[in-house]
Amino acid sequence: MGAEGAALSIVEPAPGARDPDERTAGASATGADRVSPHRVRIVDAALACLALGGTTKTTVDDIARQAGLSRATVYRVFAGGRDEILGAVVDTELGRLFAALGARMGAADDLGEVLAAGVCEAVTRIDRHPALRYLVEHEPATVLGHLAFDASNRLLAAATGFVAPFLVRWMDPDEACRVAEWATRIVLSYTISPSPETDLTDIDDARRLVGTFVLPGIRALRAPDRSVPIALGPFAAGDGTGPSPTTRRRSTPGQGATDPARRLPFDRKPPHTNRPQGETS
Amino acid sequence: MVDTRQRILGATYACVARWGLSKTTVEDAAREAGLSRATVYRYFPGGREELIHDVVTWELMRFFGRLYEEVQGAESLEAVMERGIRFAHRSIVEHEVLQRVLQTEPEMLLPTLTIESNRVRQGIAEFLLPYLLRHGMAEGVDPGRAADFLARMVLSYISSPGRWDLDDPGEVRELVRSELLAGVVVGPEPRADGGGEVPPALDDET
Repeated sequence: MGAEGAALSIVEPAPGARDPDERTAGASATGADRVSPHRVRIVDAALACLALGGTTKTTVDDIARQAGLSRATVYRVFAGGRDEILGAVVDTELGRLFAALGARMGAADDLGEVLAAGVCEAVTRIDRHPALRYLVEHEPATVLGHLAFDASNRLLAAATGFVAPFLVRWMDPDEACRVAEWATRIVLSYTISPSPETDLTDIDDARRLVGTFVLPGIRALRAPDRSVPIALGPFAAGDGTGPSPTTRRRSTPGQGATDPARRLPFDRKPPHTNRPQGETS
Repeated sequence: MVDTRQRILGATYACVARWGLSKTTVEDAAREAGLSRATVYRYFPGGREELIHDVVTWELMRFFGRLYEEVQGAESLEAVMERGIRFAHRSIVEHEVLQRVLQTEPEMLLPTLTIESNRVRQGIAEFLLPYLLRHGMAEGVDPGRAADFLARMVLSYISSPGRWDLDDPGEVRELVRSELLAGVVVGPEPRADGGGEVPPALDDET
């Protein structure tokens, strides 16, 4: 449907090819490049209609009424009608989400906090988004069509492109893309299927998850010449809010303690000689 | 001996494979199964809606049954995951009925799949748990939570590979070791000789 077609605009790499009235998501974030001043107003009106009554109560007439504009004006801005408006809604909301994420991640000082803040912000905004809430509740197929299987690949690519630059401070661009995609998967999974035990709208839960499952998987943190990982944020300080990766040892009885550098799995370097307090069975 | 319910579901699936989800009716299923409509309604009192919902979950369970067959001989946690991801990815890509439905009538399928995904995730987590415990967890990592996280990630990668080529054994190995198991376990599977080397590559095992 049209919304899906328009949503592709944020992942297609040739913004120049598009109609000058509909530029890239970056532009849609602020609306500054938009030709018509009514554009954002119409998009916000459509969002309000969706939040109240879903797609069935979001006709051009509904939108025009909500926006306080005439049908003619609406069609002047969006010649493609309802489908085009819905596409612009997706673009705009993603742009707004990315802008908020950018602000939150840009403010963080260490990698763990960047990831935790990003994940928390994304899950929170998606979870509380009025239009999404309505649609998920009453028209799940509408939303899921954009989240499942191949549609998800596009979404992952878009999010990766946005998030990766925030990570290159700590790792090479290729790994930044990998980690950005990973973080996006986490956001999608916990948004679509919330967990009773882990509430990612809570920053502490987000930090715990990132510290436990994500940071250890980041190659850039495994400095081969050092015995401890670098820049792990709150968990490296051992502030008691969760397991500290620097002190991880095998918990199964009978296994030798693992030097912090060796605790990073599948490191092909030979074992360090300085094993800490031996834990012999 | 296949029971009647299974027979109806099998017949329904055959109809779906031929005509898709929206076009398959109770009559079609009955005819295919060689049963009366009344019989079908007896087993599926909710009618077509219930039949369609149940055939989706039926095939979903069969999919995971095939996956289980494929991985159950695996020796290590790493091998289970690598083999499982590669097989599941292939199965999804090659699943003609699934791919056709996703192309032509995703709205018939996705809500049911999404609802079922919780159950599927639990199933995967339960399956992985003994492997996790046997391998040894990183300290402070709750096995149940780790299993849930792994199950979530596995489902995510197999349904949407993203930047990964899941047909490449090297990439799958890397994926399993870093994004899946890194925070969960400590080092490779313990060996009898106490050695700590990287476990054999998947292709070495078979």
